Amino acid sequence: MKKIGTRIFITLGLLPLLLVLLPLFLDGTPWPVAVRNYLELNGVKDSGAINLVSSIYLGFRVFDTLGETIVLLTAVGGTIAVFTRSGAILTDGYYNSNISALTDSEKQMLLDDPSFTLAGEKRLSHVLRTHLIEVVTGVLGPVVLLFGFYLMLYGHLSPGGGFQGGVIIASGIIFLALGNRIGHVNFLTRALVLERIEACAFLLLVFASVIGTAMGEGFFTNPFNFIPGNPASFIVLLNIIIGLKVGAGIGFLCIALVGREIV
Amino acid sequence: MIERILLFIMIIVGFWGIVTKHNIIKKIFALNIINNAVVILFVLEGSRIGSNAPIMESGITHIVDPVPQALMLTAIVIGVCISALALSFAFRLYKITGTFDVREIKRQVHHEA
Repeated sequence: MKKIGTRIFITLGLLPLLLVLLPLFLDGTPWPVAVRNYLELNGVKDSGAINLVSSIYLGFRVFDTLGETIVLLTAVGGTIAVFTRSGAILTDGYYNSNISALTDSEKQMLLDDPSFTLAGEKRLSHVLRTHLIEVVTGVLGPVVLLFGFYLMLYGHLSPGGGFQGGVIIASGIIFLALGNRIGHVNFLTRALVLERIEACAFLLLVFASVIGTAMGEGFFTNPFNFIPGNPASFIVLLNIIIGLKVGAGIGFLCIALVGREIV
Repeated sequence: MIERILLFIMIIVGFWGIVTKHNIIKKIFALNIINNAVVILFVLEGSRIGSNAPIMESGITHIVDPVPQALMLTAIVIGVCISALALSFAFRLYKITGTFDVREIKRQVHHEA
């Protein structure tokens, strides 16, 4: 039960917000068309990517993307640091533990945990999983990974790109982690592997950014300019690097969040 | 117009959740709702000046503005980062105080100080 004073206070607090935001939302000012018109005429010619969103975030505004990947790296590092400092243990995969090393009372405690297991399927290797999670995630995992790689590689031609493909790759990694039996780990659901993929991808991104400088041109200049008729190759390269980085980073975060310490 | 009013309601719901809910996890959900409302608002604004997707296959004209879409790509990834970081802080608070309730956390902090 809330006090009536608190309610009045909250309403009074939300009222100014309403007054400030409402004109912003109902505003009918025409959206500027200059940038759209320029991109419609010159975007494909300048960057080589048919997908104009890709050509913006990997061509015209690529510094922004570099900053964003640094933000992602910082968030992953901060999350893992806060997590491990507050007593959690980073595990590989979902609820990974060595079953044979558990005592009988710990095994019973796992089996009695009501959170996921359906009645009548109390197998120790499938504890905390329903049939639905097992069948759907285990089978769909590789397909989702494939789809993620498709979006990542074809980001310059069709809807997609490094960030979107990377997030779908991360979903595939989580599916693989959820679909595995307890105590079994894939190559892709190991925390150490994902961590290293992310670090290597960031290094590659920095390398790709300075390679233009080494060739006597600007920062983030396309180093493949000398190949005629292939202007989108740098965007494809950046898409692959960013896709690997985002996929490994967000997959690593989620593995850290679903991994669970058996007390 | 109706979509703008719905988005406005979405933002107000998010703010209301942040202000009034006592559970930290619910506050983080509310933060996500605001984030999503802002993303949809930007994409909606950019789509006012065109009708085709900004993928320049032959014969495509009258495209929507691709700049807000490219910016919102950034915003979505950073939103994910913020949620993950906020959830890890919530986890740390839970480990220390044993509760997600801000009133209880506040009480314990005052008690220790």
